[in-house]
Amino acid sequence: MRVFGRGEGGGSADGIGARSESEYEALRRRCEERLRELEATEPLKQVHLPSLLRSEGMSRRTFLKWASATTALLFLPASFEKLVARAAAVMNRVPVIWVEYQDCAGNSEAILRADGPTIDELLLDVISLEYHETLMAPSGFQAEAQLEDALQAFRGKYILIVEGSIPTEGGFGFNGPRGESFLENLKRLSRDALAVIAVGSCASYGGIPAAYPNPTKAMGVWDIVKGKPIVNIPACPMNPANLIGVVLHYVLTGTLPELDYLLRPKFAFGYRIHDNCERRAHFDAGEYVEQWGDEGARNNFCLYKMGCKGPMTFNNCSIIRYNDGTNWPIGVGRGCIGCSEPGFWDKYAYERPMAGANIPVPGLWNMGIERSVDLLGVGLLTAAGAGIAIHAFLSAKYGKKSDEGAPGAPPKEKS
Amino acid sequence: MNGEASGTIVRVTRMPKSWRIFHWVNFLAVFAAVVTGIYIARPYYQAMIAEPAVRKFVMGWNRAIHLYAAITIDVLCVVSFYLYFLSRFERPVRKLLPTREHGREFFEVLANFFTFNRRKRFDSAELDTFNAAWFTLLHLLLLFQLFTGLQLYVYSLESGLSSVGGWWPWLMHVATDWTYWAFGGRMGVRWVHHFTMYLLLAWIAFHVYYEIWRTVYWREGDIAIAFGGEKIARRLPGTAAE
Repeated sequence: MRVFGRGEGGGSADGIGARSESEYEALRRRCEERLRELEATEPLKQVHLPSLLRSEGMSRRTFLKWASATTALLFLPASFEKLVARAAAVMNRVPVIWVEYQDCAGNSEAILRADGPTIDELLLDVISLEYHETLMAPSGFQAEAQLEDALQAFRGKYILIVEGSIPTEGGFGFNGPRGESFLENLKRLSRDALAVIAVGSCASYGGIPAAYPNPTKAMGVWDIVKGKPIVNIPACPMNPANLIGVVLHYVLTGTLPELDYLLRPKFAFGYRIHDNCERRAHFDAGEYVEQWGDEGARNNFCLYKMGCKGPMTFNNCSIIRYNDGTNWPIGVGRGCIGCSEPGFWDKYAYERPMAGANIPVPGLWNMGIERSVDLLGVGLLTAAGAGIAIHAFLSAKYGKKSDEGAPGAPPKEKS
Repeated sequence: MNGEASGTIVRVTRMPKSWRIFHWVNFLAVFAAVVTGIYIARPYYQAMIAEPAVRKFVMGWNRAIHLYAAITIDVLCVVSFYLYFLSRFERPVRKLLPTREHGREFFEVLANFFTFNRRKRFDSAELDTFNAAWFTLLHLLLLFQLFTGLQLYVYSLESGLSSVGGWWPWLMHVATDWTYWAFGGRMGVRWVHHFTMYLLLAWIAFHVYYEIWRTVYWREGDIAIAFGGEKIARRLPGTAAE
């Protein structure tokens, strides 16, 4: 179990990689030890989780249901439920700095959903959020001073959460009263961070700001930050449950979760939307929605022909859904746009299967609109057919059929 | 028979039985892969079977046939590359060696095609350098489809599990992950895999046309090679091979 790909560095380690009973037992002992250590430390924020839950009208039973679901999210056996519940209560020992760059604040919005807070969202109140431009009361130099305080107090201990892409073209993206560029800001803040978590597709891979022609030369965190453990939690927006899962994993085990080659936690991005889609049977059966509102749409047929990119997209939204499990794009009859994949805006977010899309794939040749694969392919076949027809015509008109005794150079002797 | 007896016409074997079997199995597999591959890319018909979705597998069968065909092509491709080097009948790799003689022959065959057979300065009784290169191109395209196709297949096995063991996805990752980086991600791989199908169709179009053209203009029965394995070769009196 290791963090691989770009962003390797100290701090990342084993994660939840247990497979056998004895490994789970060892992991449980490790988690208990870790929690005892955290419980013995002074909380950074005086938040009492049970009181907070009670004030929001949530019962102990609701909390335990959440602990049970989160245990399953992290692929842990049910015996870990109590540990997960304990870990949630000590999340206020983890200092977090949240910065926002080139984005729409969608990930902050996602975790702050106003339709009634969920436990995932309430945990944001538990985490010791030392700095978050959108949420904090201070602004300008006061906010800057608070950030400096946090950097000094928690040097090497804080988790840096980054939202939004980083423009690398000069003249774009500044924040704070001193007008520091996003690029410099990220480099400075990540230097002393324990780990960097990129939330949302923009922070992970550049997202929509990095879409062709990418005027600000926007990049993801992993393109900039080197030598630090990085976790990408892409999607547009990311699912709050996945962020809480990563932080909880760190609180519980002291390590970052196992990551895939795109540095995404495997517990959330280890399988395709397609594999757990409620419309999968219609895909295999060959039953597709052909146009919005047709007979297929009324019967919840597969949205593949409407451009659903579920077969290429790794994410757990088909299982945990959004907005406290209310629904998700395919559930409302709208195909997946692959928002957790790199370059999704250019390569995935169109309403036809790839073969039917008249847009180019940036990064290949950037040939421009209307030159899709089929257009090129049929063009090539037409050219081949025309070439054959011309050659056949000229052969018929000027060609010479070989005959016995016909003049020509003698063939070489065969040995 | 007079011609043969007089040495002006000789009968030559161009494809042993095993090669002909490979040829037609390859053709059928490529045909099946194209038909099912287009369906996978853009399903062009709806399942009209009066059964619930869970009991019919129209896309499922298309994908299964596509994968069976791909595996057949892949195995034949490996066999073909073996035969290129170690065939007991004929080793096409010899014709690919970049010698001056082969270069001359390559352009002579090309010149024959573009002068509409008014010039024919090579021995048509054996595999010529142009066709050897053309067939090699086919196998390289198929090999490319193998790498890109297996990458598209293995990415769904993210769990690292398979019915034959974890070594299989591991091996596919090792062998094909370069395509992911080379073509800018999975969508790029899908793009080139799909586009290469058109290159293969264009290859087939030229191949069929060229073999028919040779049959008509050379009058040596080239088209019969793929069926009976033999053709005739015309030779001038006194210069024929034994």
